[in-house]
Formats: sequence, structure tokens, C-alpha cells
Amino acid sequence: MSGYVLRRLLQSLVVLIGVSILVFAIIHLVPGDPIRQALGTRATEAAYQALRARSGLDDPLLVQYFNWIGSALTGDLGVSFRSGRPVTALILERIPATLSLAVAAIVVALLIAVPLGTISALKPRSPVDWFATVSSQAGLSIPDFWMGIMFILIFAGTLGWLPSGGYVGLTEDPVEWARHLVMPAVTAGVASGSILTRFVRSSVLEALGQDYVRTARAKGMRARDVLTWHVLRNALVPLVTVGGVQLAYLLSGVVIVEIVFAWPGLGQMALQAVEARDYSLLQGAVLLFAVIFLLVNLVVDLLYAKLDPRISYQGAAR
Amino acid sequence: MAAAALGTALVLAACDTGEDVDVDQDGSGAENGATDEDGDAAPVQGTFVAAISGEPDQFDPHVTSAYASFQVLENVYDTLVVPDDEGEFQPSLATEWTTSDDGLTWTFTLRDDVVFHDGSEFDADDVLYSFNRIIDEELANAYRFASVDEITAPDAQTVEITLTEPTPALLDNVGGFKGMAIIPEGAADEYDLATEGAGTGPFAMGSPGASGISLTAFEDHWGGPPSVDQVEFRYISEATTALTSLRTGEVHWTDNIPPQDIESLQSEDGIEVGVSPSVDYWYLALNQDVEPWDQLEARQAVAYGINREQIVDVTQFGAATVNQTAIPEDNFWYHDYAPFDHDPDQARDLLDSAGVEEGQSLGIMVVQDTEGVQAAQVMEANLADIGISVQIEQEPSSTWLDRQAEGEFDAFMWSWLGNLDPFGFYHAQHYSEGGFNAQGYNNPEVDDLLEQAASETGQDARKALYDQAAEMIVDDVSYLYLYNPDVVQAWAEGVEGYEIRPDRAINFENVTVAE
Repeated sequence: MSGYVLRRLLQSLVVLIGVSILVFAIIHLVPGDPIRQALGTRATEAAYQALRARSGLDDPLLVQYFNWIGSALTGDLGVSFRSGRPVTALILERIPATLSLAVAAIVVALLIAVPLGTISALKPRSPVDWFATVSSQAGLSIPDFWMGIMFILIFAGTLGWLPSGGYVGLTEDPVEWARHLVMPAVTAGVASGSILTRFVRSSVLEALGQDYVRTARAKGMRARDVLTWHVLRNALVPLVTVGGVQLAYLLSGVVIVEIVFAWPGLGQMALQAVEARDYSLLQGAVLLFAVIFLLVNLVVDLLYAKLDPRISYQGAAR
Repeated sequence: MAAAALGTALVLAACDTGEDVDVDQDGSGAENGATDEDGDAAPVQGTFVAAISGEPDQFDPHVTSAYASFQVLENVYDTLVVPDDEGEFQPSLATEWTTSDDGLTWTFTLRDDVVFHDGSEFDADDVLYSFNRIIDEELANAYRFASVDEITAPDAQTVEITLTEPTPALLDNVGGFKGMAIIPEGAADEYDLATEGAGTGPFAMGSPGASGISLTAFEDHWGGPPSVDQVEFRYISEATTALTSLRTGEVHWTDNIPPQDIESLQSEDGIEVGVSPSVDYWYLALNQDVEPWDQLEARQAVAYGINREQIVDVTQFGAATVNQTAIPEDNFWYHDYAPFDHDPDQARDLLDSAGVEEGQSLGIMVVQDTEGVQAAQVMEANLADIGISVQIEQEPSSTWLDRQAEGEFDAFMWSWLGNLDPFGFYHAQHYSEGGFNAQGYNNPEVDDLLEQAASETGQDARKALYDQAAEMIVDDVSYLYLYNPDVVQAWAEGVEGYEIRPDRAINFENVTVAE
């Protein structure tokens, strides 16, 4: 098992190096000069040249790349051109907000998807199934910015139950943290939940049709136990796969939800970095997103073995 | 080189506000008002909460060019002189100033009771240090010292600026906005100015967060302590969120108001909306190095072909004033001159005489997600009537700036913000060698007038020169001026002591909030 993990980590490293080269190349190919963007329109040519020289952008690309990747290996992702602050600090500053939102959103998504998907699979073509299908379709189709704005107008504006937007740290004030989190988490969670509902439904349906379920029923096992021990457990594997992808997606920032709720997450940061052509910040953010996806995938693969004893990485290691 | 008003900064900010997306805030529930950095609940009357639509890029006043940064910095730093709401310069860190007879030496007398937030005392060396930092490091605002020969400090309370030519716009150059802030000697080495404040202003800067920044009252401020204990800026880019926060009392003030919402907000209880003319202008510039726009008749045809009133109605819902020159009425520099009425027939005649064929294409380059896009759409419809086929080219601001600098455009739309002194809004733009003359305008007569005006020390004589130049600029369609947008801000009922300013500077020094 540990051999498998090690090999996977090594593979991830190769992927990361590839990602770093791609990101670096693409960013530098995109038109738009970060120096002009930083100086605005009235600065003189001399000011432009001075800042350009200071920024290191005049070095050959290869030199720039190795400088960047060299310090990245020591955990130093460089300095954000736009803000003059270390990229690592800017990312760390936003991780609590992003983590809060991603975890809360995936919880919301699972709370929607697991019961709704299971019930509709147990009673296919029933009104419950119909409701689940329609509502997951609706959840996917309603734009998140619109849903977010409606939530704000209703729950913050009209009812006054929740704050309109913003973020409070969990350590600062747990109650306010939770109050600020509700609307963005539900907004982001509904879309993910709608996707997951369909997967839960189909994988539960599939498991229900398996021989072992028929056998379990035939030997007189209680319906609830059959569902818990034979159906749901087997249906979990695909759910974990799709859920993992959803979580990774949420962790790399839900830009629209972040904007609507003034939520200081990574998505907004990356968007600003694109707009300002803030090369080092964008490179750092994309690298981080790649790490998140790789890690989540690894965890998902390891979870398979836990969930389903038939899956083993021992054999693969040989 | 060029020198100017609020300049750089604010101009870029024009597009920034549209697209600079961002976050918010730091802590508070609707009913207990704001929470300070440590999470301690502060009494609501002690903390003023402002929701701004942009997000500051950084807080070094000499480096940043983002309007959102200056919204914060306005409250943290001081300059030698400061514009009042008429655009006239008033004493700030300098109590008085004199100009030598030849106009080449300006002597500023400094206040002797000023301390910085870090406790150090303010004197002439700090002014020298600040200005020399901008000049020596060739920072964004170095051009403001283009005509400066030497800056000296005869004594601790006096600063002398020697010029190579008379520079009547010097007060604007050194005090037009907080980009010319005075920082303590050695501050750039001692502090990380991108994140740490070192000013003399009414508020001291707290540490910046991803969602906002808090300022704390500076008790030793030379003008007396400000009227609130804290100002908290929150970055809320979504207007619905900002306005709902204002309605629920989570914030006291916001500038995040879409023009289409002004009317309905004005009729709401508990909210006051301030709509006031600004000294900003939006304009269209046609590339005079590209056929057929190198021909005067073709440019004038466009000037006759567009309908300014319609543009203002569509983009601003009326919260703007059409203008064919740069500066709005009520301003000292206003010049009443409007030769182009909307006249499609006249426009067609001009196109004929310029030999421009039906279906001539015109690419209008605009920064994406700004009001310029809607304005360009109106122009597209207007110009279709006279046989010009407009393509709207939306670009992110970085690409826009590149294309503009490299002259790769037929026409572009842009704005200048915070215009105070005409030197700042005519020279770089219309002087043949001007740093922002991207449209390629070259009129020796205008050059001559602008040169004279730059060193003319008599205010009325200077205005006469600029008026003459302005007429030529308009006639030649160097810039096709469109309108002056209003400043639109809203605040909770009970907020007192706040004044909207035509240059959009935001100052919360005297603001109070009723309980």
C-alpha cells in the first residue's frame, strides 16, 4: 500500500512539473502587458522601463522559469506583481475561506444527493423519483449568480436572517462564521448536489439489481439492512469518485459564488490575477489547483480500497 | 513630459471598477454592526463601514494606480496641498506657499505640529525623501516632476522647489491626489509600504485582509482626531450584495450603485443617494494614422453622426451630462463650446466629401465590462445610419492598453478621471509629442497654445489659452468628448459629515453615524 502511495506521489510530481511548464508558457503567451496594467496610462516610457527592469520580465523566459520553479521548490512562489506581497501569503490568507466554503458546500451537496438519490432509486417512476429528477435538473439549470442574488434579497434583505455577504474567520467568531457561510454554501452546494443526486440514483439502482442483493433478500435480511450493507456500500464507490471531483472543483474556487457573496476565496484571487496579468500569483494559484486535484484523486483511489475490499493495491504494486 | 491631475490611477480605475472583481469583509452581523480586527464588537457609532466596489491592489501610495487603493489611502496619507470640492488647492501639510517673480521657485512653508502614525515628527526632510523617491525610482508619478530641477530644504519647515520652466500646474502635480503622499524619511526601507501604512492622515492603516481593511482613528492627527474610531472598508463587487448590506445596516456607505438603480434607491426610506457632477469625462478617439480617419471630414462625420443624449440615457440612465469639451459647467476651466449637433445628413455629406464609401468599417476598442461597451453599442446604431459599420472590440484592460500603446486600433473609448488642472487633461493627450496622444493628433497651433499655457502664470490668461486650444481640439476631433458622468454614492440615513467630491476622493474624517 505505501509503495503504491509513493509511486502515485512520484507520478504526481511529474504531472506537476508538466503543469508548471504549461502554465508558465500559456501565461506568457497570453497578450497583455502586466507592466502597462500596473502603471496605468499616464506613466512615462522611463517609468515603464524602470518597472519592467525591476520586475525581471526582461530576462529570457527560460531563466524566468527556472528562477520561479527553483524558489517554488523551497515553498517560495514569488511576489505578486500587483500587490507587492508574497504569493504564498496571499494564497494562505484565502485558504480558510475557500476550505470553509468547499467543505460546507460538499456537505450540503451530500445532504441533498444521498437521501434524494436513494429514495428515487428505491421507488423508480414514483412521484418522489419524478420530484428528484425535476429538482436536480432545476438545480443544474438555475444559474448560481441568480440563485445567490435571490437568497441575498430574501434571507438578508427581506427577512434579515442572514448577513448579505462577507466572511468571518472560524476562530474569530464561530457563530458569525456559520451565519456568513450558509447562503454561499447552499448556493454552491445545490449545483454539486444536483449532479451527485443522479449518480447516487443510478449507482443505487445498479446495486439493487445485483445478485448479492437478491440473495440477501432471499435469505430474509431486513430491507433496511440490505440497503445499508449491500446496496449503499457498493453504491459508494462511484459516489466517492464524482464527489471527489466536485470537492476538488469547489476547492479551486467557485468564482461566481465568491463574487456574489463577497467571499474572499481562491477563485476570485485567480480571476484577478488573470485580469492583472499577475504572472507569479496566477502561476502559484494554478499550481495549487493542480496539487488539490492530484491529492483529491489520490485520496479517492485510496478510499476505494477501504470501501470495497475487492479493490487492492497490493497486487498492483507487484 | 506630461504632468497631470488625478491621473494615471484613476483612469485605469475607470475600467477597474467594472471588472476588478472582488471580495469582502471581515466580520459583523447586521445588528451588532462591525467587528474589529480582533473580533471584538465595536459600538456601531464608533465604526464607519464602507463597501467599495473595487479591490485595492496594494497600499504603497507612490506605486499603486488603482482607484480602490486611493479610496483607502485618501484617509491615511496627506499631501502638501489638497484640492477642495471646487478643485482649488488649500493648505494641508503646507500652510502657505509663494512663487518667485520668474515663476521658477516655489517655496512651501510646512506645518510644525505634524506627527506620523509611527510617532516620528514631520519636517522638510520627509518631503524631500518622498518626492525624491518618486523621481529617483522613476515611479508611476515621476512625470509630475518633469519640470522640477531641484527640491531643497532651507530649514526644517521650508521646502523649495526649483523649476526649469514656470509650472502653474505645480500644486496639482504635488497635491492633486494621494499618489503624492508624504511618507516619513526612510519609510520605504523601514516598512513594507505595500501592506503597511506610514502616513500623517486622520486614520492609521490596519493590516490588509482579503476581504477588507480597517483604519483606526489617529488621535494625534494635526487636524484633530477624526469623528469615528474606525473606518472599515469592505470589498463588495456585486451591487445587489452591497445595496442589500446598506439596506440592512451592515454597511453605512457604498459606491457600488448601478445607474439603473439610482431612481428606485432615491425613493427608498433609510437611504440617501448622492448624485453629483464629476470632473471625469468619457470620450472617443479616432486613430489619425489610419485611413480614412486621418481625414478631418471623416472624423467630423463621426462627431455629427453620434447622438450623445442617447448615449447618456442608455449607459448612465441620465446620471451624466453631455459635453463636447472636457470639463463640466460650474468648473473654472469650463468652456462653452458645442459645434456638433446630432446631424446624420451633415455627417453623410462630410463622408462623401472625404470619399468614404458606404459600409466603411470602424472598430471601436473598449475595455470589457465597462460602461464604454454600452456607449459603443449606441454609437454602432448611430453610425449605421450614416453608413459606417461599427465593430465593437471588447478587450481586457491589459490587452486594451497594449493595443492602445502600439496604435493597433481604429478608435477607442476611454475616460479620464479626477481632472483638476487643464495641464493634466490636455498636454499628454493632445500635444503632438504627448505621452498619451495615442490617436496621433498633430496640430502645431495647438502645440504652441499648450506650450504657452503650461508656463503662463496668470490664471485668466491661462484659461484663455486653454479655451483656444480646446476649440481646436474639438474642431479637429482629436478627442470626441461625450459626457461627464455623475459621482453616485449612497449612504444610510443618519450619516453626517460626508461630502461627495467631484474628483471622487473619499474622505471619512468628519463622518458621523447617528444611533
